[in-house]
Amino acid sequence: MTDIPVSRLRNFCIIAHIDHGKSTLADRLLQDTGTVSTRDMQEQFLDNMELERERGITIKLQAARMNYTAANGQEYVLNLIDTPGHVDFSYEVSRSLQACEGALLVVDASQGVEAQTLANVYLALENNLEIIPVLNKIDLPGSDTKRIKNEIESIIGLDTSKAITCSAKTGLGVPEILQAVVDRIPAPSDTLDQPTKALIFDSYYDPYRGVIVYFRVISGRINLADKILLMASKKSYELDDIGVMSPDQVSVKELHAGEVGYLAASIKAVADARVGDTITLLNSPANDPLPGYTEAKPMVFCGLFPTDADQYPDLRESLDKLQLSDAALKYEPETSSAMGFGFRCGFLGLLHMEIVQERLEREYDLDLIVTAPSVIYKVNMVDGEVTLIDNPATLPDPQKRDSIEEPYVRIEIYAPNEYNGTLMGLCQERRGEFVDMKYITVERVTIIYEIPLAEVVTDFFDQMKSRTKGYASMEYHIIGYRRNDLVRLDVLINSERADPLSTIVHREKAYQVGKALVEKLKELIPRQQFKIPIQASIGSRIIASESISAMRKDVLAKCYGGDISRKKKLLKKQAKGKKRMKSMGKVDVPQEAFMAVLRLNN
Amino acid sequence: MSDSLHLIPPRSAYLHIPFCHRRCFYCDFVVVPLGDKANGDSGPGSNSIKSYLNILHREISLFKIDIPLSTVYIGGGTPSLLNSSQLGSLLNHLEKNFGFQLGCEITLEIDPASFEENDLEEYLAIGINRISLGGQSFDDNDLEVMGRRHRCSDLIEACGWLNKAYMQNKMLSWSLDLIQNLPGQNLVSWKKQLKQALNFSPPHISIYDLSIESGTVFEGKEKKGELNLPNEDQALEMMTFSSEMLCKEGFSRYEISNFALPGHASRHNRVYWTGAGWWGFGQGATSSPWGERFARPRTREAYKDWVENQELKGIHYSLDKSNCRPMDLDEQIMTGLRTREGVDLEELAKRAGWSQRQCDDYLPLLLLRWKSLIDRGLMKCNGKRFQLSDPEGMQISNQFLVEMLLWWDSLPKDVVLSPKIEAPL
Repeated sequence: MTDIPVSRLRNFCIIAHIDHGKSTLADRLLQDTGTVSTRDMQEQFLDNMELERERGITIKLQAARMNYTAANGQEYVLNLIDTPGHVDFSYEVSRSLQACEGALLVVDASQGVEAQTLANVYLALENNLEIIPVLNKIDLPGSDTKRIKNEIESIIGLDTSKAITCSAKTGLGVPEILQAVVDRIPAPSDTLDQPTKALIFDSYYDPYRGVIVYFRVISGRINLADKILLMASKKSYELDDIGVMSPDQVSVKELHAGEVGYLAASIKAVADARVGDTITLLNSPANDPLPGYTEAKPMVFCGLFPTDADQYPDLRESLDKLQLSDAALKYEPETSSAMGFGFRCGFLGLLHMEIVQERLEREYDLDLIVTAPSVIYKVNMVDGEVTLIDNPATLPDPQKRDSIEEPYVRIEIYAPNEYNGTLMGLCQERRGEFVDMKYITVERVTIIYEIPLAEVVTDFFDQMKSRTKGYASMEYHIIGYRRNDLVRLDVLINSERADPLSTIVHREKAYQVGKALVEKLKELIPRQQFKIPIQASIGSRIIASESISAMRKDVLAKCYGGDISRKKKLLKKQAKGKKRMKSMGKVDVPQEAFMAVLRLNN
Repeated sequence: MSDSLHLIPPRSAYLHIPFCHRRCFYCDFVVVPLGDKANGDSGPGSNSIKSYLNILHREISLFKIDIPLSTVYIGGGTPSLLNSSQLGSLLNHLEKNFGFQLGCEITLEIDPASFEENDLEEYLAIGINRISLGGQSFDDNDLEVMGRRHRCSDLIEACGWLNKAYMQNKMLSWSLDLIQNLPGQNLVSWKKQLKQALNFSPPHISIYDLSIESGTVFEGKEKKGELNLPNEDQALEMMTFSSEMLCKEGFSRYEISNFALPGHASRHNRVYWTGAGWWGFGQGATSSPWGERFARPRTREAYKDWVENQELKGIHYSLDKSNCRPMDLDEQIMTGLRTREGVDLEELAKRAGWSQRQCDDYLPLLLLRWKSLIDRGLMKCNGKRFQLSDPEGMQISNQFLVEMLLWWDSLPKDVVLSPKIEAPL
């Protein structure tokens, strides 16, 4: 399988915005090359996490090797490397792009270029990838290939005269795409004789075999008999297995420069074989690693607490296990008087946070309370020290601190121009500072703001989508810290401070947020057997208050023979709801309440 | 089989008559609407009724047990859509196959406007001795809103006949059903209802809070925000008023939704709350002769198939000894707490097969969960019995039950699984 010359290898990926049909096209390529028989075809073959299928997005990337006989009668090997399609995972995207020589730029022929696409296209251009524009979904009535081609030319500056039109759904245009991959994407450079370097572009944890590493051999060769060295983690391993993904794993003896494959070497955690690390041979190592390796840096933090304190050991064990397969997940124990034992966890972004939470609840059967996300604040203390805090509850007293700085991002929003006003309004409300607005076509604009990250990790994305009927897309990157007049807003439930509900806000917004927050909590916390005051405070000053009146009536109207089973079902549902609540002091607080600060605008 | 597990064969039977003139807007029972002009004898729907009765008789035929019944309840639906000879032959069949104890309580549910005074005479003549009247409301507007067929004048007339028959000692007792918490209702209008009801001196009154069931017209209206229901505080006022007013009139609230003058509590309904067994017959009917509840198919066709299947097997499901085990303790507590006398937890636990050791280990955990409620006086401890206070405890009873179910959920598996035992037949 590996005797294919480098000249007949093609490595490529697909760049597309969510819903523009990347996964469907990938499926179709696998089918048309006979890599996966139609019979075995599950929809969206490459997205094999349950969660990915449900959300229709790619979180963990995958790869597939296809054999293809080109028009000239020669056999080619095409490696499709899938890329995750979300801003939280842009580092992973950049690594998988580095493993390719070309990319299919898939654009929905009725929708046009979106922010995510653009960000990834720029990454691809930086990596000198050959880009083949593909207009997908031309079978849909709303498609307008001419307009979209213009858009691609004017926004990205790509020549679209040789763009391919296709419908991944019907299969139209797919053979042309395969031929273009062979004709237009360059073969990898022939570097068989150089010292071995292979780039890790993905890995996952297999409970039986340890970490499975996906890599692209950049130079030299890797043989099953070799001992490998990972240059960043400085760990060496004997290989248990190497092979290719077609797309099921098929073992081979050797992989050489240009090829894409997997290896298993009893590696214990994905953190030991991080994406971007360079594989070389222990006995004849390369001098320098491949460029571009960086450690994952969590941007968003939240507390994870088991609803039932007895589940704390299970939560710890589940996080340990999850970390084996998720190198970006960081966590440390957190104790709160209100919440008991839990963990403070760091994530790449909101989506990453949601994914981890869902996997913990689904795969490990835990009931969790997740507190509202926070960013890392820099606190300049009076004594000149600088403290970093990722948990509002731990913000030092006002007397001890001199100032607080918060992270800012530069955010770029793409949208039809009719939404300019509402989007600028949104950015303004979120303390954004206007930078620029450009017309990319007659009807579409890009709006650029500098905005506190804390304002983006709340419900910014949802608001942007709902205000633009889903037409806007966004992209952001960190630009540094800025000093602001920030205060900690506390919440008191039944006169006790509820740590996990504390939040850091701008002083000018504190009153408004405090009022909205107690109102929202009143709505979210069910009536209990006694009256519950709910207050928002800054320091010892109460700035807003509400109260939940006592529940006095909760009874089943009637219960005779045939009713008993049904009524019991109702009560069980009520009991289940109560079980999922966290008892704070004497008050049962439902999960949603901890996220109340994210839902103030609903 | 443990000594404490003495199962007593059922002494009660429930018969379900699924026919109604129409489906009321709050109703999610197993009913077959036949139209306003339906009539058991010869009118529209009579064939439907006849063929159903045929299957019902066939189900009863599967029983030949010489353990006489002490209560019979014919419910629905609208059983008064049947004529007295149809009802009589059902009773005869039951008496032939089970026997009736002396003083057997035989209740018939009837609807105002579905019977006349002479129908009542005939019902009493065939052996029915207790009537439950589905009055629901004395307010024409309420009745309209509920989609009821009768009007206030019909109800007044029916109450008059029942009161007269009762005063003449022609029946043991009668009951009036009212629905509380209807759209637009408030304390003033509810007081009027209750006073009007008391004018007819019913010895038993059932007051049900309106509950919005799925699939009903009311549910649809509620979702659209068209159901102007009283708020929690108003509902509470009405419920408290009912309890206090009826107590003053000599009634005892012997169950959360049932009030009776001394000696008039429904013996049949008590069966459901005390954990005793009952037979059941008819489409969608539930029976629980030995503890495990069994609900018959809810559609006519499926019920018919099921009866035929029982006939083929030659044994009725309820008589199959392998289906026999004591009622689960959690359900015993759930129903028992609805009653005035409450529950003796230890006794119930032992009935469900618990050892003294298990009682000592696990029952205190339940009391611990109830502690904050007990501390507030919502439950009283009377010797070994735990009783909800009236009205505060009763109107918040779900809080006790939810804690109880959480407790039940936390117990080891072998404790919550009641043992299979042999039917004492």
